[in-house]
Amino acid sequence: MIRDALGLGWLGVTARPARAALSALGIALGIATLVLVTAIPASGRADLDRRLTALGTDVLQAQGSGVTDEPVELPTAAAAMVRRIGPVEESSAVANLNARVLRTDLADPNDTAGVSALAATPDLLSAVHGSVASGVFLSAATERLPAVVLGHAAADWLGITSVDPAHAPEIRVGSAWFTVVGVLGPMPLTPELEQAVFVGWDAARRALGFDGHPTVVYLRAVESQIQPVRSVLPATLDPATPGLVSVSRPSDVLAAKRAAQGTFSGLFFGLAGVALLVGGIGVANTMIVSVLERRREIGLRRALGATRGDVRLQFLTEAALLSLLGGVGGLVGGLAGSLGYAALRGWPFVLQLPAVGAGLAGALLVGVLAGLYPAVRAARLSPTEALSAV
Amino acid sequence: MSVLALSGVSKEYAGGVLALDDVSLSIEPGEDLAIVGPSGSGKSTLLHLMGTLDRPSSGTVELEGRDTALMGDDELSRIRGQRLGFVFQQSHLAERLGAVDNVATGLLYARVPRPQRRQRAEEALERVGLGHRRDHRPHQLSGGERQRVGIARALVNRPALVLADEPTGALDQATGRQILDLFRELHADGTTLALITHDPAVAAGFSRRVEIRDGRVRR
Repeated sequence: MIRDALGLGWLGVTARPARAALSALGIALGIATLVLVTAIPASGRADLDRRLTALGTDVLQAQGSGVTDEPVELPTAAAAMVRRIGPVEESSAVANLNARVLRTDLADPNDTAGVSALAATPDLLSAVHGSVASGVFLSAATERLPAVVLGHAAADWLGITSVDPAHAPEIRVGSAWFTVVGVLGPMPLTPELEQAVFVGWDAARRALGFDGHPTVVYLRAVESQIQPVRSVLPATLDPATPGLVSVSRPSDVLAAKRAAQGTFSGLFFGLAGVALLVGGIGVANTMIVSVLERRREIGLRRALGATRGDVRLQFLTEAALLSLLGGVGGLVGGLAGSLGYAALRGWPFVLQLPAVGAGLAGALLVGVLAGLYPAVRAARLSPTEALSAV
Repeated sequence: MSVLALSGVSKEYAGGVLALDDVSLSIEPGEDLAIVGPSGSGKSTLLHLMGTLDRPSSGTVELEGRDTALMGDDELSRIRGQRLGFVFQQSHLAERLGAVDNVATGLLYARVPRPQRRQRAEEALERVGLGHRRDHRPHQLSGGERQRVGIARALVNRPALVLADEPTGALDQATGRQILDLFRELHADGTTLALITHDPAVAAGFSRRVEIRDGRVRR
């Protein structure tokens, strides 16, 4: 029974292949859009998840903020104070020296390309998941010497991307010359560190008149305890005015981006819906024409014993198959498209099985709805009318 | 019991056209009947009423003793599929099916299981002399062969009555004669037959002839 119905439907669909393909195209576009708008953001989210995991979400940073122009000063022992909070595993402080960083004496003093000079301690890298790309970072030995380490972006801008200890270049920080001893790797979670050069704490005091008050404290804590640490941090750093210490989690920026990945898909879902609707109208149109053309066939079938229900089922099956065909085509196209896009962006491909199922079910539903009116019309045709049609 | 009995049947179409006027006619099992009349005489309407494809405005149509007025559309459809066989002027074959599958369509709506359909269709094709053409597509067959496939499709459900509407109308004379010979053979084998034609020469070969003119039966 079902096999007969499907066989008849298939015969009807394939009777005019070009027409079937064209009317299924609308459905295919709708389903392809549906697959694309679910698979691409999903792949994007998977990619951000992967990057978040790789970069680490266990880092917090705290800095003074002020209602006045001068931000509140952090205590000189800020890093050590923070380390005493239980779940904190590592902490380190940097201080903005507000000094110009220049490649040579001849460079335009105003052309600092946004590179900032920070005083730092050797434990900074482990607190922010940083790495050295070339040379070494500041150490207990070099902390007092006029040595400087370049952040990844700063190195790029200064034109020093690798360090040869035999011919170590020098750069000017403020009024003093510093020898470049290392270049850091990328640190996407803390772009402000990527764009900075680091000199030792004591060297900064000695050569640049640094007062010892840090401007930003970085810490790494047990991941599950990040929220409690976050809430006690301001009071730890500034018990008198904790409200003037702002705490942020660098990975939150990425996490927000992750959330944003889902927001524009609403519009595209609407688009997919419209495409499906138009596709459904196309199928309905094709079926109405088909019913008109095949009145004699309908009449013959009625004479051979087909009930109205049989005729209705035949055209309904045909519409559903037509639409399903478009759905499968759209699914294949959409999956290929999102696979290609993910590959292009270097994202992991995420197959959204529910979306695939919903797409096929949607196509089937659209087909049945689109076929309903033509099928009812075909079934209502009286046998004699149908037989005498030209 | 008559296979088919029409009594006092009239058919009036919208607009007041009286296509049939008080027609009474009965067909006994094993009969071969020719209904002759010029075009516009109402013979197509008569065939539609005899085939339960349409209902009369007044009068009764009884099929094997049962009043068709008391049956719903689904029951009438079932009876058409099981007790009646239709042969039309055009064979109305499905272009993309082979001869045997076209014949098997005659059993589709009688809910005969698929394997039996094919076997019985092959038997019916043998009966009309097309056993050697079972997998040929309609376009590979001659006009006469296509009409034979159409006849096999009408016979395949072993109907109580075969209704033929100008079955030779679209064929050349020689082929038409062969088709009429086939009808005679089928009748000799016991098939009850009612054929409609405008051609007295076609009707001449039938043992009973009914003439229809202006919607009335003349004897």
